[in-house]
Formats: sequence, structure tokens, C-alpha cells
Amino acid sequence: MEEIINSNGKLCEFLKKMIIDTLRLEDITPGDIENEASLFKDGLGLDSIDALELVVAIEKIFNIIIEDEDVGKKAFASVNALAVFIQDGYQRALKN
Amino acid sequence: MEFKHQRVIVTGATKGLGKAIALSFAGKGAWVAANYSSDDQNAAATESELSSLTQKHLLLKADVTSKNDVDKMIKSVVEQWEHVDILVNNAGIIRDKLLMFLDEDDWDRVIDVNLKGTYLCSRTILKTMIARKFGRIINITSPSAFTGRAGQTNYSASKGGIISFTKSLSKEISRLGITVNAVSPGFISTPMTESLNQDIKCDLLSRISMRRLGQPEDVAEAVLFLASAKAGYITGQVLGVDGGLI
Repeated sequence: MEEIINSNGKLCEFLKKMIIDTLRLEDITPGDIENEASLFKDGLGLDSIDALELVVAIEKIFNIIIEDEDVGKKAFASVNALAVFIQDGYQRALKN
Repeated sequence: MEFKHQRVIVTGATKGLGKAIALSFAGKGAWVAANYSSDDQNAAATESELSSLTQKHLLLKADVTSKNDVDKMIKSVVEQWEHVDILVNNAGIIRDKLLMFLDEDDWDRVIDVNLKGTYLCSRTILKTMIARKFGRIINITSPSAFTGRAGQTNYSASKGGIISFTKSLSKEISRLGITVNAVSPGFISTPMTESLNQDIKCDLLSRISMRRLGQPEDVAEAVLFLASAKAGYITGQVLGVDGGLI
């Protein structure tokens, strides 16, 4: 997992698969999701309930807890934003 | 209805309705975690009864109004049993007084135990239920929430809040495989109702279409139904168990 987290490209691909698997998105492949596109509304079309499932998945996989809704909104802005959020969280955990 | 290997937490489980609910689940094969706040003697008696029904049971002393206590309680169950399938938010108190004499502590305590406790336990359990895409949350409310009752402004408000909470939460999480419902018991035979004087008892009975008090087991059956696979498409509802309360 450390190797994936340390590579932005690999992490974005991992996250796309995680989003598709967690939310059981049909007819969508990782290639259909752009790194910078919004995960919500105009982008992938997710909503706040989908975000709940992703919050739980991220905690389970990366051991990073998203307790605050505003933090969640920023983290779920795009796949790239989520990757940066996870990398930051991982670095913070290493320092502690 | 069978609940083999299903993990259940019942709050306020060592007396009255909560105890009947906990024992009913245990009798149907569930693993039962019985929460209580302070009465160690009743807790020990309940544990003894649970142990005669199931080997898988836990006794959890925790104040449902304390986030720290609730976090520890749920964490402890998940660590031992991996997950929780069913949460019954039963813990509740009354402090009946006419509003003119109802002080702030009477108000806060009833709202805290009945409503905040329901919020804290539900919120804390959500992650384990969302992760498995399955869960049943059943909250205990009261007819007092619908009709009001003199001397129960605090209790009625807390139970009305539980109904609104139930309906709103059901809209948030039912899509994730978690149903949220409430049971509203009417006048149930308990040591308290048994000790009422004859006039009050007659008045109570005249307000029940069936002309008899309910039994704790009547309420437990309704809770078990809402927790069962048979109720998989029922969410955001309040099931009255009151013998036709007028």
C-alpha cells in the first residue's frame, strides 16, 4: 500500500477502482473518470450518501478518518484531491 | 424469526422493555450486548438470564449520553464480535412534572438520555453498518409523542424528537441497506403500572381498546419483526404496540 500511496498516478488509479467497487457503479471503468473531474453533480454524479460509503471505505483501507463534513467536501472534490488528501493524511500519521 | 449469529446491541437492557427485548433476541439465537448505565444488581440478574439463552452475550456499562462511553461501548462490541447488525435504542427515563415546576436539569436529563443517547449510539454504529451495507436501527418512542400528556413536556419532546430523527435518518441511510424504524409502546405491564392505584388503572384501561395492558413481550415481538428479514422493505415508520390506544 505504501508504494501505491507514494505514487500519485498509482493512487489515483487505485481510488478510481475503489470508488467503482464501493459504490457498485455499473458501466463505468477507471478510464472513464478523469483525475480532475468533480466526483459530484456534473462530474461523476455522486451524492452525499455515496460519500458516506466512501468515508467508511477510506477509513477501512487507509486508516484515515474523515470526521468533518467540510473536510470531506474538499477531499471528495476530485480523484486527484482525494489522492492528495490521503497522501497528506499518510504523511501526518508517519510523523506522529 | 431467527437471528442466529446476528449481533444486537440493546440500550437500557437490564429492566422493563429493554430486558424483554434483549431476552427475546437471545431466545432467537442472536448475540446480545446488553447496555445499562448504573444498576449493577439488575444487570447481574439480566446477564444470568441471558446466559441461560445464549453463550454469546455481553454486559456493557455505559452512559448513552456520553460520547466517550458510547465510543468505547461500540468499539468493544466490534472488537469482540466484528460488527453489529441491530441496534435497539431503548434507554429512556421519565421525570414527569408540570412545566411550571420542571427545572432545567429535569429537561436536560430527559432530552439527553432519550434523544441524545439515540443520536450518539446511532451515529457511532453507522460505520460498521455502512461497511457491511446492512443494519437495523430500532428506536423506542411513545404515544406521548403524538398526543402529548400533561406533566410530560420533556418526555413528549424527547420522544417526538426520536420519531423525527427516525424518519430523517431513514432517508439518509436506507439506500445503504440500513433500515431505521421506531416502536411506540402504549401502556405496558411493568412494576410501575402494577403499583398504580385502582382508579388510575381503571382510567388507563378505559383508554385502551383491548381493555388490557400490553406485556413487555408484545413490544419485543414488534422490535424483532422490524429487525427481521421480513421487514426489509420497511423503513422510517413508527409501529404502535398499544392495544388500540384511544
